[in-house]
Amino acid sequence: MKTINFAIDLGTTNSLIAKYDDGTIKIYNNPLGLKQTLPSCIAFRGKRTVIGDKALDYLEKDAENICMLFKRKMGTQDTYFVPSIDKEMSPIELSSLILKELKNFVNDEEVLNSVVITIPASFDTIQSNATKKAGYLAGFKEVVLLQEPIAACLAFANTSNIEVTDKQNWIVYDFGGGTFDVALVEVNDRELKVKDNLGDNYLGGADFDNLIVEHLIVPFIEEKLTLTNLWKDLKSKTTNFKGLYFELLKISEEAKKELSIYEETEIEIDVDINGENFYEQLIIKREQFEDLISSRVEQTITFIQDVIKNNQLLNSQIDRVILIGGTTYVPLIKRRIAEAIGVEVNSSIDPTSAVVHGAAYFAGSKPATEIEIEESEAENTALETIDFKLFYEQNTRDLEELITFKINSGDAKSYRIMRKDGGYDSGVKTLEDDTFSEFVPLLEGRLNPFKIQLLSDALDVIKVIDSVAINQGSYNVQGQPLPNDICMEVDDLDASTTRLDLVFAKGSILPLKKKIYKTASKTILRQSKSNLIINIIEGKSKGLPSSGLSIGYIEIFGKDLEEDLIKGTDIEIEIEVTESRDLKINVFLQSCDQEFKNAFSESERAISINKINMEINTVLGDVEELIKTNNSEENFEYSQQLENIRVGLIETQIATSLINDDDISDAKFQLDDRKRKLIQSFDDLTRNKLIAQEIEEYNESKSGLEYHLNKEENERFQDKYSRIIKNEREVINSGNKYLIRSKIKELDELYDSIIQSSDENFITYFLHMKFVTDFSNKRKAEKLIKQGDEALDKKDYKSLRHIVYGLSGLLPDYEKEKQKKFKDDSRTGLG
Amino acid sequence: MTEIINQIVALDSKLKKENNDSGNRYLDRIYHEFEAIGFQIVIPLGQTYRNEMTDVEANVIGDLSRTSKITKVLKPVIYQIENNETKLLQKGIVVVE
Repeated sequence: MKTINFAIDLGTTNSLIAKYDDGTIKIYNNPLGLKQTLPSCIAFRGKRTVIGDKALDYLEKDAENICMLFKRKMGTQDTYFVPSIDKEMSPIELSSLILKELKNFVNDEEVLNSVVITIPASFDTIQSNATKKAGYLAGFKEVVLLQEPIAACLAFANTSNIEVTDKQNWIVYDFGGGTFDVALVEVNDRELKVKDNLGDNYLGGADFDNLIVEHLIVPFIEEKLTLTNLWKDLKSKTTNFKGLYFELLKISEEAKKELSIYEETEIEIDVDINGENFYEQLIIKREQFEDLISSRVEQTITFIQDVIKNNQLLNSQIDRVILIGGTTYVPLIKRRIAEAIGVEVNSSIDPTSAVVHGAAYFAGSKPATEIEIEESEAENTALETIDFKLFYEQNTRDLEELITFKINSGDAKSYRIMRKDGGYDSGVKTLEDDTFSEFVPLLEGRLNPFKIQLLSDALDVIKVIDSVAINQGSYNVQGQPLPNDICMEVDDLDASTTRLDLVFAKGSILPLKKKIYKTASKTILRQSKSNLIINIIEGKSKGLPSSGLSIGYIEIFGKDLEEDLIKGTDIEIEIEVTESRDLKINVFLQSCDQEFKNAFSESERAISINKINMEINTVLGDVEELIKTNNSEENFEYSQQLENIRVGLIETQIATSLINDDDISDAKFQLDDRKRKLIQSFDDLTRNKLIAQEIEEYNESKSGLEYHLNKEENERFQDKYSRIIKNEREVINSGNKYLIRSKIKELDELYDSIIQSSDENFITYFLHMKFVTDFSNKRKAEKLIKQGDEALDKKDYKSLRHIVYGLSGLLPDYEKEKQKKFKDDSRTGLG
Repeated sequence: MTEIINQIVALDSKLKKENNDSGNRYLDRIYHEFEAIGFQIVIPLGQTYRNEMTDVEANVIGDLSRTSKITKVLKPVIYQIENNETKLLQKGIVVVE
């Protein structure tokens, strides 16, 4: 059986739409407003129609073309004349526009043919039929009406799962932003019926905000500034206080919300009055607030008592009071009702969405009449073939871009453009000569996707174009791109070496500017010889630091510092490459509160002989080691290539030792260049191999881990594992060994925690250890292994675990060895 | 998180009002960190206001025209970027004159 499922709360001031989906209720968000509510307000601006929040913008300027509160006129012959379109609009037509806009909240793929729409308990037959008609006009094929208090009771009953067997009387107390209603509902055997209702269409929570401004804030300001008549001036059209009035209202609204939770609130008034800044704090106690609003609250209590009396009931015959409407958050209301009526007052349901919530429950139980959907499908396929052309720049540096559109079909009469992040809505606009041109604002530095709707004469959506996206921040015209990556050399403490951090990627368009935040990886004391190195390198970001061209090099020594640079404090580095390829570096050391500025251009490249030497030494060690292993693997061709590099490096090193650091000839640069080329070829020769090795290691770690994960007792680690391997593909394909390495580390850490979660896992560990030959203390190791064998026999896995710990302590520390080699002066000091 | 951002922006505008730039570096850093965790903060002060901007709640003083500008930002616009998709997280509250 197909049910209706969709429900709409068509409110006087705000409307909502929700769906029943297999027991749960989904209330749709306005795609353009973060809120679930759509203000029931429409602005007609000639060729443009604006519905909802943004229509309220025109309230002051263009009130005659704004239609709102039309629900109060439903079922009357009253119409609204709208001068800007020279047309009479009936409340039914206006309501249908709100309903169509609500349809927009629902995903495009959902087909909405049937709907439940809520109406006030006070609506008579004519008003009810008018609401139905608005539904049909909005394109619904089936409209079922439901009274709002019933919907609220349904929301309450369904969320609290109460069982009602005898007849009960419930009161639904609905106090919204602008209206107040109270209804008496008879409940029995899970059947609900509205018996009576009363209300005031001009009483709402907004009145409370005004009371705070009038009686608390304004007298406070008047006293401080010795002003008079401020309250009148605030609301006067002729004075310049309108902005101030609004600001004070916002402050009051916040204070009202705070006072619903706390006993007192401190408000901060920071406003400009007559050109002077006024800045003061004012404490408002809940007591004061309650004194202010108590007469309004009493008014509502009288309504409840009247409803009870009119139906020949006693207070004791009321079983519960259900609160809905945003204003019921105020604690005084709940307290006063409980005191006056003496029954349980329930505020457990969300007061703003209770009606649509309950209506959706109803919709979920109400069978939908079978409707021919094929017809609309046929229509859709015809519309799929609508022929149109769109023009716009896909990439732009401007914050606004023009979209031009042309269609070859007479069916579409209007269009609407929305930015998918919710930041822009053109409103519904008329097509002229089947074309439009529209400037759309863009969000800086982002890809801005748009949705374009084409609408028929009756403002029904007939086509959605979803493919428009504009990239802000990149040039469309070919600017000057960077020929190489620009990187910064930083310490890689895990691998005990330095590596490159990408600053600007190859192909980025000049000029470029970026701030990078790093932490100091070593302490540099004032006056010490230790140094901090900022080395900006042009070259492949995945390569070795020494294979790139150093285009900017700053050394900051202990003697340059006003305070000690402490390890772990922040270093802020601003790097700028101008259009003419000048490099500017600005370094700020947080712990010293000191700034270093340097500008570099090609002609004054700084090269340090020391640095060249150091780099050659580091690589030379690696080359020699690799030659050794390849020789032993009889990989002679490969080692010959490496040997050539080795000889070249040694030659360069000898040449460097022959010149002074202050040599002014270009010998230094030639040597640096030679060094770079040699290291680059070493890099090229080894990189793929290294990465292949890393990937192999990654896969090994992974399969080792998976073996353990498949065991039932380790199921709880599964989540963490999926998180780690989530971006596996990206990492493997990055060709960046540091990234792969860090993944391996994560896997290994998980492996360790799985192993350590059970003593029995140490058996395999121990068996491995038995084959290790290079323990630092062989005798001790043998003793431990013997103890381990015994423990294994006794199945004493706890002891075995400690024996394995002891054995691992005897393993040679490869990492420590490596770290020893990573001396202080070979580090940049940037972590 | 939006409340933290609102407070930072309020602090920033307060310091700017007093022509106090001693905190700029720290504020820049805070903004940078917000961006790094996917929050894009927009303060549209001084921009021409268009009714089509659905990311701000405007309080229009006087007549709305093509030259109306945002003269005060009471709350910033906050976008959240998740999985490369941008979403409006908080509408800005502004005064338009």
